[in-house]
Amino acid sequence: MSLIVPRPPFDPELEAVLAVLGDRIPPTMTAEMIPGMRQAAPAEVTDEMLEASGLTRRDVAIPGYLGDEIAVSVVARRDHRGLGPGIYHTHGGGMVSGDRFSGLTQALPWVVEHDAVLVTVDYRLAPEHPDPYPVEDCYAGLLWTAEHARELGMDPDRLLIAGQSAGGGLAAGVALMARDRQGPALIGQVLMYPMLDDRDRTVSSAQFEGVGVWDRGSNAMGWTALLGERRGTDDVSVHAAPARASDLAGLPPAFIDCGSAEVFRDEDVAYATALWHAGVQAELHIWPGGFHGFDLTAPHTALAHAMTATRNAWVARTLGS
Amino acid sequence: MHHLVGRLSALDPEASESLRIVSYFDVLITRGAGLDGLLRGAAVLSGTVAGAEIRGRVSRRDPDGRSVTEAGGARRSAQMSHGDWTVWLERDGEPGPNDEMIMERLALGVELIEGRRRPVSGFDAVIDPARPLAERVTLLAKHRLDPSTPVRILATPADTAELGAPSAITPTRYGLLRATLDVFGKLAPPGPVGFGTWVRADRAPESWDAAIVALRLTDDDTPAVDASELGAMLLLAQAYDPRTPHEDVRALAGLDPRSADVLRTLVEADSIRSAAAELGMHHSTVQARHEALTHTLGYDPRSNIGRMRYIAAALLLRLTGPVDRGHSQQM
Repeated sequence: MSLIVPRPPFDPELEAVLAVLGDRIPPTMTAEMIPGMRQAAPAEVTDEMLEASGLTRRDVAIPGYLGDEIAVSVVARRDHRGLGPGIYHTHGGGMVSGDRFSGLTQALPWVVEHDAVLVTVDYRLAPEHPDPYPVEDCYAGLLWTAEHARELGMDPDRLLIAGQSAGGGLAAGVALMARDRQGPALIGQVLMYPMLDDRDRTVSSAQFEGVGVWDRGSNAMGWTALLGERRGTDDVSVHAAPARASDLAGLPPAFIDCGSAEVFRDEDVAYATALWHAGVQAELHIWPGGFHGFDLTAPHTALAHAMTATRNAWVARTLGS
Repeated sequence: MHHLVGRLSALDPEASESLRIVSYFDVLITRGAGLDGLLRGAAVLSGTVAGAEIRGRVSRRDPDGRSVTEAGGARRSAQMSHGDWTVWLERDGEPGPNDEMIMERLALGVELIEGRRRPVSGFDAVIDPARPLAERVTLLAKHRLDPSTPVRILATPADTAELGAPSAITPTRYGLLRATLDVFGKLAPPGPVGFGTWVRADRAPESWDAAIVALRLTDDDTPAVDASELGAMLLLAQAYDPRTPHEDVRALAGLDPRSADVLRTLVEADSIRSAAAELGMHHSTVQARHEALTHTLGYDPRSNIGRMRYIAAALLLRLTGPVDRGHSQQM
């Protein structure tokens, strides 16, 4: 009877952060906590922050899935002229929480640095709006972005998709939809610790149960909110759970990063491997001892600096500036 | 779920955050983080630039964790020096309520790093099992001790005053503790103390390990515990890693105070009937609680082996920090 689950230790600086912040939330989020999760979120990107970075924001109501109205924000440099690269952003929050500003601090430097124009989407959340609402809303937002690229100041041939956590899974799903439906062309997909697999069958999932941030139980909660009783059955589309896709040929180049001390590690490594097998270019980074979302929670740490710099360098090469 | 966890920089700069500061630095120090990690921690927790000068070399970090090279306009609002090194925070105006605590912990961490560099350092090397025996014997000679002299090590909280004997603040699996050398058996610190076993001076690390266990077993009623009184239980305690508690320990930790009380009485009582009398409960109620507890624990606490498991688990539970007790183990 082995009672000790071996798992990679947290990075020392990140473990110190967990020791201080870990008591703010239980490692396992349950469905009852969804209302609290939504309330707890303060605005992550304020107009003052945008202003200070020389950015402007414009909100637009656009048609989402089945034509229902959803909101997007368009963010660009105040001095933006002509056509710059485009970034389409899908936020995280376990499919059940967050808004279009969640985690946006990751992508804002790309707007500043490369004079890009960013569109970030408020897709509708599970469980009130289960699959396919989230991914279809995200796809509708991509269609709108591509159709209005020139008037937004975006070069339609340089459109990148990016998302973190659940938003990373949605970004991967939207990239698959764009391929399958002959939709907008993407020059790349930035999948930050993406949530890809509803089947809960990896070693990393078993290793991080009751430990760290967004553990196995939280992940099961998020997928159940999205898929209900379909979770783990054959009745789940590859657009909802991209890890299930057997054919990844023809997808845009991917950047995938993740911590070694989190649930998503193994499914993210597997997705990169499957992309390479399908002849798709991919760059993969697994940061040792990183817990889920550590670059957002502990941005002052050495590991977060390394993760952010590496990701930003890929974006710079891909946007070709 | 980063927005729920929040960010470290969101600690209330006006409130006293002593506990959080101590745990942040304790983890850094016990996990062997270097100078940059300590400075990044001090900067993010204080919200201002933290710096260190060690043997003439200056390092500074801002609250984003970035290296700062340009000359700072702000003055050094808090500063601590010792021998080869100086550490400080750069802040104009009023110091923050946590500045002093942050400085103290930063200084402690830097001194420990520096202490490790000095080939033959202070007393801490005497109790460091990672040091070669020859080095420890050389150092014992400096303290005028023969390797065969009987000694014991005392463990006290890190903030205990020195006792007039060789002493060092040392990172342990339970955070930072003060180790003090006892040759004459006469030291009696005022607060909680764990006495290590008496050993040959060249085996001082073993006594230190035992002293740490003994200190963990102190409480308000028993502020001093001597490891040599633990007998064979000391072996069990020393083999235990509190970061990965055994299932029996978790089961005990999960009981509410009343159930824990009933369980202890059941283990100690001669019969269910006498347990019921002691608890002031009905015999059949206690019998039902006994069955329920047997189910919860996975063993019968009144059987011989069950008693043994209970006593071991209760001992180990006292060695387990509150964070590690439940399933929600953080580290």
